[in-house]
Amino acid sequence: MAKRAGAALDLGLVRDLALPHLDAAYNLARWIIGSDDDAGDVVHTAFLRAARYVHTYAGGNARAWWLSIVRNCCLATLGARSKREVSLESLESDDLAFERRDDSIEESLHLAQSAALILKELQSIPVEYREVLVLRELEDCSYREIADILSVPIGTVMSRLARARALIRKALTTTGENRHEL
Amino acid sequence: MNCDEARRLLDAYFDRELERSAVDEIEMHLERCEHCRSELAALEELHARLARAPRYKAPPALRRQLETLTDLPAQAEGVRARTAWPSWAMAASLLLSFAFGATVTWLYARNAAQTSPQRLLADDMLNGHLRALAAASPVDVISEDRHTVKPWFAGKVEVAPSVVDLASEGFPLVGGRIDYVGGQRTPVLVYRRRQHVIDVYWMPAAQPPAPEIQQQGYWLSPCRIGGRPVQIVADVDRQELARFCDLLSRP
Repeated sequence: MAKRAGAALDLGLVRDLALPHLDAAYNLARWIIGSDDDAGDVVHTAFLRAARYVHTYAGGNARAWWLSIVRNCCLATLGARSKREVSLESLESDDLAFERRDDSIEESLHLAQSAALILKELQSIPVEYREVLVLRELEDCSYREIADILSVPIGTVMSRLARARALIRKALTTTGENRHEL
Repeated sequence: MNCDEARRLLDAYFDRELERSAVDEIEMHLERCEHCRSELAALEELHARLARAPRYKAPPALRRQLETLTDLPAQAEGVRARTAWPSWAMAASLLLSFAFGATVTWLYARNAAQTSPQRLLADDMLNGHLRALAAASPVDVISEDRHTVKPWFAGKVEVAPSVVDLASEGFPLVGGRIDYVGGQRTPVLVYRRRQHVIDVYWMPAAQPPAPEIQQQGYWLSPCRIGGRPVQIVADVDRQELARFCDLLSRP
């Protein structure tokens, strides 16, 4: 009986720690991975992992503990994927460039003002910058939480976030530069 | 403060992550400097634009799946609702699962009897130590100052440990963290000896002193601080361990 009670307790604990932050986990995974199906799979895997390693939770911020597991699972998935599909990324960026040249002024005006452009640009910057932007701007994480999730010092969080913002600003102004300020 | 310094701190200022003194300095600079003000405005504009990026919500199916996974009675409910088994099959499967459960429990109890509670605690501490070594930092609070480390524990564990300063003896304090030992939140003081990390686990008062053992190259050695039992986990050599324990237990 002791064994079964123990297992149930662990699952109960991981449910209390992880499920309140399920949307945050899914959002982070979705932004890192880029597709709904894969994001769901990764969060599911991360949840099982969290249940197995729930004893590593040493008190403190449950969201940071859980999101760091989700992030590690995302990066593992990305790593496995990039080994399989080496050439896809370069193909995609070519497509994107072509599409951009073809945009009419009206279209880019519309794009620049719509969420679609932000979505596209945020999805196109490198993952290490994308993840800090998602954690800070969408999930409203503190620097301390981000440092815990990425397992890096706070100084690194600060410099990476500044660089990420500079990158996305540049991307947004370059794409929207045809736009005339009204 | 000049523009370069201000620019470096501007993101943290915008995110309200700067300490008070730096906030005052940067605000003084912003009053004077139009360029930095426009940079701050750009951060605000970017923040507003990024707010339009989608915040994806977990699909309800995923949430249900994970809830079911952690909620065993609910899971049984779901199975019953979907498939209407004849009652004799239910009875047979209940009997079977009961027999299986009893066997598992018996096996587990037999196993547990062979593993002493002290052994389990030792495993917990060794695992905690290894985990901390593998992590980016072996401590949750980084400080060489015992007056910072002790208050950090207050409110996180039942009894905050006494912290002994041994820097002058060649064992500088690195900080502290909390590990689970025997299912209990246990304060850990972390010291350093050259490149070695030394963990001092603050044991529950009722704990009988554990024997000294060596496992996977790590010493687990009992000691006392001010009459309280502690357990040292480290990979330093035996003499140094003994000296460290001597220093800790000195009144």
